[in-house]
Amino acid sequence: MKFGDLLNLAVSNLKRRKLRTFLTVLGVIIGTASIIVMVSLGIGQSELQMELISSSTSLTTISVYGGSSGYMYSMGGGSSASSGDEPLYITDETIEQFKNLPYATGASPILNYYVIAKQGVYESSFNLAGVSHDYLEQIPLSEGKVPEKGSSQLSLIYGNMIRRDFTNSKTNEGYWDTGEEPDVDLINKPMFIIFDRDKYYQSQSNNQDSGSGDDGAQPVTPPKKYIVPTAGIVKGGPMDWNQYSYNVYCDVDALKTQLKTIFRKNPIPGQPTNKKGKPYNYFIYDEAEVYADDMEHVMEIQNRITEMGFQANSNVEWVQSSQKQMQAQQAVLGGIGAVSLLVAAIGIANTMMMSIYERTKEIGVMKVLGCDMNNIRDMFLLESGFIGLMGGIAGIAVSYAISKIINVLYLKQQMEQAAMGGYDMSATGDISRIPPWLILLALIFAILIGMLAGFFPAKRAMKLSALSAIRNE
Amino acid sequence: MMGDQILEGTGKDSAKRVISVRDLYKIYRIGENKVYALNGVSFDIRRGEFVAIVGTSGSGKSTLLNMLAGLEPPTKGSIEIAGKRIDKMNERQLVAFRRNNIGFIFQSYNLLNTMNGLENVAMPLMFRGVPKAKREKIAEKYMKLMSVLDQAKHMPNQMSGGQQQRIGIARAMVVDPKIIFADEPTGNLDSHTSMDVLELMQKLVHEQQKTLVMVTHDDHLASFADRQIRIVDGKIVSIESRKDYGAESSEGEGNDKQQ
Repeated sequence: MKFGDLLNLAVSNLKRRKLRTFLTVLGVIIGTASIIVMVSLGIGQSELQMELISSSTSLTTISVYGGSSGYMYSMGGGSSASSGDEPLYITDETIEQFKNLPYATGASPILNYYVIAKQGVYESSFNLAGVSHDYLEQIPLSEGKVPEKGSSQLSLIYGNMIRRDFTNSKTNEGYWDTGEEPDVDLINKPMFIIFDRDKYYQSQSNNQDSGSGDDGAQPVTPPKKYIVPTAGIVKGGPMDWNQYSYNVYCDVDALKTQLKTIFRKNPIPGQPTNKKGKPYNYFIYDEAEVYADDMEHVMEIQNRITEMGFQANSNVEWVQSSQKQMQAQQAVLGGIGAVSLLVAAIGIANTMMMSIYERTKEIGVMKVLGCDMNNIRDMFLLESGFIGLMGGIAGIAVSYAISKIINVLYLKQQMEQAAMGGYDMSATGDISRIPPWLILLALIFAILIGMLAGFFPAKRAMKLSALSAIRNE
Repeated sequence: MMGDQILEGTGKDSAKRVISVRDLYKIYRIGENKVYALNGVSFDIRRGEFVAIVGTSGSGKSTLLNMLAGLEPPTKGSIEIAGKRIDKMNERQLVAFRRNNIGFIFQSYNLLNTMNGLENVAMPLMFRGVPKAKREKIAEKYMKLMSVLDQAKHMPNQMSGGQQQRIGIARAMVVDPKIIFADEPTGNLDSHTSMDVLELMQKLVHEQQKTLVMVTHDDHLASFADRQIRIVDGKIVSIESRKDYGAESSEGEGNDKQQ
């Protein structure tokens, strides 16, 4: 028997009982739509989270900590330049090693140095992060531009929220007390930077102790203040937090040059010393960042760095664990949807059984007239598969509509929340997302469920006795 | 057995034999009791013959027909149709055998209600995988022969009983079968229509040289057949030829004495 004829027979049989077919298909529609919508919510949620993460932090960056941060010491074999019981430090040499790791696109040292900044009555103490030119290039700027590569002139890139850290030295109040943005102009007014904090505090306390009298015992002269130009400001309004918002960045080489000229032979604060208490003649970094070419390779690089004896971590770890959590959630959501499709499958099986009882005689006649038993089975399988197909297609249409409604409602709710909470919603999007593979999968699944549900009824139909055609009721 | 003695001698005629039944038994068990629906039946049917199996209800005539058509397996004995032992076939083989060799006419017509007249007639060809255009052309030919071509586009429930049965006959004929089985083909028709249908069938057999095996309880209807096999309680009690039939076939079978 030709497939086209089989299909025709199946369709005309479905048409014969329109209402019943419709009701059975309705079950499949609900089942398919619930699976798609549920899974789309899971996908939307996890993608939304990913977008949120990647908009505020980099997923290809690995942070490396060495010995100078205090908790990391050499783990045995002298895999780095340092030997014996010397702590494992991140030096220019190690940075070069990181750069040469497979899949690494670059590496930057981070030289943290605390400074005091003053402008008018406002004063702040913040960390100056000396980083490589490559690192600086990655920072999105709203104003200014990254200092030229190799420029020895120190210039700073301020975080977009750094102004909040300034306090009024007269009233001793800052943003966190008054709720007002300090009147600090990072672009147009000069910023004074004090590098020698110890000396500064000493001079401060000295002045206070001795009151107005200048003839106290050997007053400490205040350290020199440097006017450091502003190179740029990190992109974003005063409300938009990102990983650069509260930091100040500068070129590491420029910072090193600056520090050397200030302290000359004296030890630079924050730099570790060797066993004899002498400073090293090279800079030691607290941190470094290594960049991977792809998120997939982050863990591999991270493991290598750990093998070298450093402490390394990245966002990928917790992104992966949260993704896993999301997947579990998706599976649960999909499972809930699948239950309704299972109910629909029972409906199909029931419909097919009924249909077979009704058509016992007809099937008998077909068998007497020489219809192949496989053809009879296939006819019923086609019928149930067709129910699955129709339900699947309609279910997809329905789920698109539901998904649209959910997204509109979600957006509305987000807008309301944003209006109330006053925060920016740079990372909002659709909560329900239907990728093409989900559509295809749902359709195949619906057809498969239909045929599966029809399988046993079809087998039964195939085995029906041809004799039933002869019996006269 | 009586049947054996009668039929064994027709060796030279075996080429023309299309159905050959030997020692056929059908035993139903009902609880502890054995019921002999067929109790040792043997006969031959030649090509182009119109044979009526006559008997009262419960005589086993329908059981015999069912077994000839391969719808029911015999308990014992052999059935050879067109040189094939159908009692040895499984269900799949039987279906294929019917598809290729046998036409069937039912008492209650058994047309498919979802199909119109033409589609019903063409259905057995569809089972053979004949393309639609071709099979409908063939179907039209047989409908014309049965003079029901005007019913081609009608659904079965729009037709009279006689029309439906003519459609049913056309459906049995459409595959050009070697043998046509008819189970009380006029059982649901009034006597006038019955005569029409029966005359048509008779004409058909002779014109198209088909073998027709008909089951009936009606002696008058049976008299249309070339030969009548009479069954009582699962046994053949007589095989009689129509008066003018024995002469033309020159094989009288010598059955007259059993009357």
